[in-house]
Amino acid sequence: MTHETTRREFLKKMSAASLGAMAATIPATSFLSGCAPGRKATADAVILLWMGGGMAHTETFDPKAYAPFEKGMESKRVLSTFPSVPTIVDDLYFSKGLENIGQVMDKGAIIRSYRAADLGFILHTRHQYHWHTCYEPPQPIQPPHLGAWIAKELGPKNPAIPAFIDIGQRFTVGEGEELKAFHSAGFLGSEFGPFFIPDPTSGLESVRPPAGMDLQRFERRYKLYRELAEKSPLGLHGSDYQRESLARSMEQAYRLLKSPEARAFDLSQEAPEKYAIYNTGRFGLGCLMAKRLVMEGARFISVTTEYEPFLGWDTHENGHTRLEKMKAYIDGPVAQLIRDLDETGHLDRTLVLLASEFSRDALMEGRPGAKIQDQVDQPDVIDDIKHYGMHRHFTDGCSILMWGGGIKKGLVYGKTADERPCKAITEPVVIDQIHQSIYHALGIPEDTHYVVEGRPVYTTPDGAGKPVWELF
Amino acid sequence: MMIPLDALWFLTFLGRLHPMVVHFPIALLIVALLMEMMTLRGKNENFRGAITLLLRLGAVSAIVSVALGLILHEQESYGGELIEYHEWSGIATMLFSLLAVWLNYRSNKRSTGVNLYRIVLGLSVICLTIAGHLGASLTHGEDYLSSTFPGNGDSHEEGKAGELLAEFASQSPTGSFSPEDLDRLNLEVRAIFAHNCYQCHSKEKSKGDLVLQTKEGVMAGGENGPVLVAGNADQSEMIRRLLLPRSDDESMPPKGKTLQKNEIELIRLWINQGAHWADKELKIFREAELALTKPELPPAEDGRENPVDRWVNQYFQENNQDWPETADDRTFIRRAYLDVVGLLPAPEQITAFTEDNSPDKRAKLVDQLLSDSTGYTRHWLTFWNDLLRNDYSGTGFITGGRTQITNWLYHSLYDNKPYDQMVRELIAPNPESEGFIRGIRWRGTVNSSQRTEMQAAQNISQSLLGLNLKCASCHDSFISNITLDQSYAFANVFADTALEIHRCDKPTGRMAQTGFIYPELGEVEANTVKERLVRLSEIMVKPENGRLARTLVNRLWAKLMGRGIVAPVDEMDRIPWSQELLDWLAADFRDHGYDLKHNLRTIMTSKIYQSVPTGYKSENDLIVSDYRFRGPVQRRLSAEQFADVFSQAIYPMYHAVAYDPEGDTLEAKWIWHREIKLDRDVLPEPGKRYFRYLFEIPANKEIVNAELLVTADHSFHLHLNEKEITSGDDWQEVHKADLTGKVAAGKNIIAAEAENEGPIANPAGLLVSIQIEYADGSWVRFYSNNQWKTTDTEPKGNWRTLLFDDKEWKNARNYGDFFNGKWGRLPAFTHKKQANPQPPVRASLVMLDPFMKALGRPTRENVTTNRDDQASLLQALELTNGEFFYQTLRKSASYWLKISEGNAQQLQEQVFLRALGREPTGKEKAVARKLLTDSPTAENVEDFLWNIVMLPEFQLIL
Repeated sequence: MTHETTRREFLKKMSAASLGAMAATIPATSFLSGCAPGRKATADAVILLWMGGGMAHTETFDPKAYAPFEKGMESKRVLSTFPSVPTIVDDLYFSKGLENIGQVMDKGAIIRSYRAADLGFILHTRHQYHWHTCYEPPQPIQPPHLGAWIAKELGPKNPAIPAFIDIGQRFTVGEGEELKAFHSAGFLGSEFGPFFIPDPTSGLESVRPPAGMDLQRFERRYKLYRELAEKSPLGLHGSDYQRESLARSMEQAYRLLKSPEARAFDLSQEAPEKYAIYNTGRFGLGCLMAKRLVMEGARFISVTTEYEPFLGWDTHENGHTRLEKMKAYIDGPVAQLIRDLDETGHLDRTLVLLASEFSRDALMEGRPGAKIQDQVDQPDVIDDIKHYGMHRHFTDGCSILMWGGGIKKGLVYGKTADERPCKAITEPVVIDQIHQSIYHALGIPEDTHYVVEGRPVYTTPDGAGKPVWELF
Repeated sequence: MMIPLDALWFLTFLGRLHPMVVHFPIALLIVALLMEMMTLRGKNENFRGAITLLLRLGAVSAIVSVALGLILHEQESYGGELIEYHEWSGIATMLFSLLAVWLNYRSNKRSTGVNLYRIVLGLSVICLTIAGHLGASLTHGEDYLSSTFPGNGDSHEEGKAGELLAEFASQSPTGSFSPEDLDRLNLEVRAIFAHNCYQCHSKEKSKGDLVLQTKEGVMAGGENGPVLVAGNADQSEMIRRLLLPRSDDESMPPKGKTLQKNEIELIRLWINQGAHWADKELKIFREAELALTKPELPPAEDGRENPVDRWVNQYFQENNQDWPETADDRTFIRRAYLDVVGLLPAPEQITAFTEDNSPDKRAKLVDQLLSDSTGYTRHWLTFWNDLLRNDYSGTGFITGGRTQITNWLYHSLYDNKPYDQMVRELIAPNPESEGFIRGIRWRGTVNSSQRTEMQAAQNISQSLLGLNLKCASCHDSFISNITLDQSYAFANVFADTALEIHRCDKPTGRMAQTGFIYPELGEVEANTVKERLVRLSEIMVKPENGRLARTLVNRLWAKLMGRGIVAPVDEMDRIPWSQELLDWLAADFRDHGYDLKHNLRTIMTSKIYQSVPTGYKSENDLIVSDYRFRGPVQRRLSAEQFADVFSQAIYPMYHAVAYDPEGDTLEAKWIWHREIKLDRDVLPEPGKRYFRYLFEIPANKEIVNAELLVTADHSFHLHLNEKEITSGDDWQEVHKADLTGKVAAGKNIIAAEAENEGPIANPAGLLVSIQIEYADGSWVRFYSNNQWKTTDTEPKGNWRTLLFDDKEWKNARNYGDFFNGKWGRLPAFTHKKQANPQPPVRASLVMLDPFMKALGRPTRENVTTNRDDQASLLQALELTNGEFFYQTLRKSASYWLKISEGNAQQLQEQVFLRALGREPTGKEKAVARKLLTDSPTAENVEDFLWNIVMLPEFQLIL
């Protein structure tokens, strides 16, 4: 693998923070602009809030006509199973249960016209793979996760905090192997891969010396290691690559594990009132950890409601009942995260996204007109509340929320139809545009690529896709 | 200093004047130095005044430049080493030039010290040159200069424009060309087009409607009309555009490098000669020869009889290189063990080997190792699993879209099946070997370049032929001569119904032909896929297909020596550092019936394999195109080697395998309480669960032997007929108990309580097997399965009795067979008699886990032929702090404390001996003593063991 973008290398050497500060205060002078690279970042950290399992847009951030439950109602009448509620933004309505998030929409934007790819019949993890890597699986080479690209291009913001942190996903669940396939740095090399914290309450353990080993013992062990290695006939350092990289990596690990910044991983340091707001479960606490880590200098954090087949947002029955719980699970923590970041000023430089692999519908599977195997049975007439909800997978209209990091405030972008199929009807957005928008905010050039097995591999396939300029 | 905000723009402006102003000191000081040099030996004394003026102006402009530069640095927030160096060299220039001004003033006045002044002036120009170069690197990028060097970037490396021009100029002064010459001229022109113009003007992408790839395209021209006038270059648009200055909008190529002068000349010549189009395929890229003949061996010199050494000796002589030193016996035996069986030699074996005086002891050792089929297979399985994309877990298995070839592969290696036979069975497969060409099938529609037929074509090309088909499965390759049609023709071999060619995932409406990449080997077309595969398998192993043997021996060489004769190992069209050596090894391999062990033996018995390895500075050093072979390069233990060597020298790391070639057949299941949330089965929550199972022994049978096997994730207590039998808290440890005398005729009751630990829901299971042998020779087994009763609420009363009412309890849920659960297969979970102690489980048979993944074991979603073997931070974290490794160290420590009976010195010496194959030196003993103290605790031992296995000496293959 060889690197091609030298200009980017150069950029990396510049402190993005002070560059941004400069851009904010100084009128653009383009004299001799050929001598200075001109890209400016509006964000230097990203938090991705992942709604694993397919979050129905009409039940959350893009409500349609409310059809209350009654026995014998026709399935085709069901567009939304909740009434709409106003948000702080004029003419923007959310589904009931998301009032808190509604109150922070003046600090962010919503895309209502995201269209997920059409990958034939549904395997959630395939769509998740596509969302996170921008490449449709399978691929002849392993494409990196969005977070790995960012880790590779920008490196850690604070050397003591891993550049790519993934909170909340376990791999012992169904489709675990498929989940692993995209939670990976791929060809960029494991160095840029995710640092996993499946359970935020025990996050600290991942960055502390092993349980039962106090700091003193840890330091002594490393000190004596260096001594032993230096005194051994081979020595610790040498002119060769292998020995050098070993010595260097050991030193880095040692420093990281005893760094004071690791406190950020310790949720017990948080005030009890605040902890309580976030504590709706692992996802809520993940948001809390993301907040703490961003303030300490994290680069990319993903927090997931966790994908587990048929659970979470993956409603194959009881959609309405389940959604009540799911909304209560995310509403408080997400809103609080935005408020907290905003109050401390971190939201200005932190891009927060909330997204899902696709949406759902009561009747439509895949996209309009597509014939899909294995769709859930849905009776024409609903007698049992079990059948009241969005139980089929829908790819043609999905909502994505974005806050901070240069994103326009109070923006509503794109629109879906008010009648079934509730698909995107204006300004359709696809995944490479989302990736390029994120990279744009971070100042990563659109054509960033590496040569793998002799061919260029870009952040998005063939480097395609433009940022959604209207967002900025 | 506070600066009002609105003044900042002015500073920025000033700063940006720096790149302009710097040219003053550059010009002034250099000219001053030049003129100064002209005054040497007293000449041109009349320059003196001018020099002084130039020097002073230069110094002043240097001061201004430095000041502006500092402002620019401040304002534009540059960072990094480059800017630091640039800044310091700039400041040094300024200081030296000021010093020179003063010295010049002094020497002018006193006519002394003129040499000192000249030196200082010289120094200032040197600093200036450095500062200037670094400044340019900052502006244009560090590789601005070096990217033009031959071999960097996609420059047309083997371009022959100059050569051809010279040849034609001398041959055909009259301008008459033979048809062959015209063909050659055209092909070279097309090669120039391919490297410089196809990016925009090809069938895939035709800017301005111009296609330079085909005759029709070139002759038709683009949207602005014809690009050439045959016979008249001066009237040709193409030549005009090529010659335009770069600043002109119409200049071609618009981006990147311009064409070289002689390349343009050659195009001009071609047009003037009538723009003839050769009726031949254009081979733009180097292609290795397919055929293979065995070159004549050079004579043996200095007793270097081994054929490999003879070639290497010749190579060293041609390149004026010395032979590296030969490694000592200890180093050699460790390396040979690691390379053949992936384990360490035992301390006694090292001693015996070093004390052996026979001259052929190294060859004998290699033979002895190669004859250990079990050790060889379990080490080399890893290499083949990587190469053939075979794994025990991964995507696709969940929907039946993928099958393993493990059993076939294991036995092929164990039997040392000839490689050509392996290849035949991979391509025209039996049910056990078909997983390779079947690929990984995902649910839903996939990109047409990743359909399973195309995967088969890609994987066979890459793994077996060192040829990259991945580009060409989407469009004509930019990195080889392979076309889209060729890839589809190859993929079509595996297709039941003919494939439609898709370019970049869009249908073209054309149907694929059927054929192999190298049609000269023979025809593959037949009526059925099966017949085609048989044909393909036959032509693939024809002796004429030298590529098959070359690719494999090169891989083996790279494995043993750290770098291939051709590198990267998947790009066999690249130039080897020794074509003869590669050909000889490949031909020798073929002539010896494709015997893998023969090839390994040939390499390993050479002096060059047995040499001291050379280090290298970066991974790039190994793949540069002008690589010079100097001997083996240093390697690091693979993830599997690390685990195996740790298991062998310190304490077993793994206990469960994913594949067990000698597996037992038991029907025991991993079971747990059924946990349901929202009508769905979910992972078990932490907590205690209770299990009961009742079994009956006929009254007329006499029990002679009764054995219990049990384990649980995470812990259990098991009772039989109200008596506690055994308990455990590590699922990897199988508990065996003798139940003879405890099992009674009539009804028996097993009662077990087991606990799932951890903060959140996670896998849990209980696994039990009871075997009862009767006096009449018959036997019966009772297993854990879904007939067992469970509850998650603590039972009231004595629930371990036969009579306890468990009607409210639910049937347990099966979590998988004993050999196939999430836990893998525990070889110790068997009623068969086993060796005691059992040899540790080999890592190559273990399912991929986060520990091995961190140490570089790949997920085998794609063919992997080159592992990342550098140490990384995540890896070091896993080794320093990972839960799995830490727990392993704890178990290791308690084991070592036990066997050394707390004797620090004995422990220390034994660990050194077993892990490093030697006794500690005096200095090492002192450090070890600090770690272990005189009466070591478990923690001391953990830390000591950790230190030993982190040593470079342990982790590297020397």
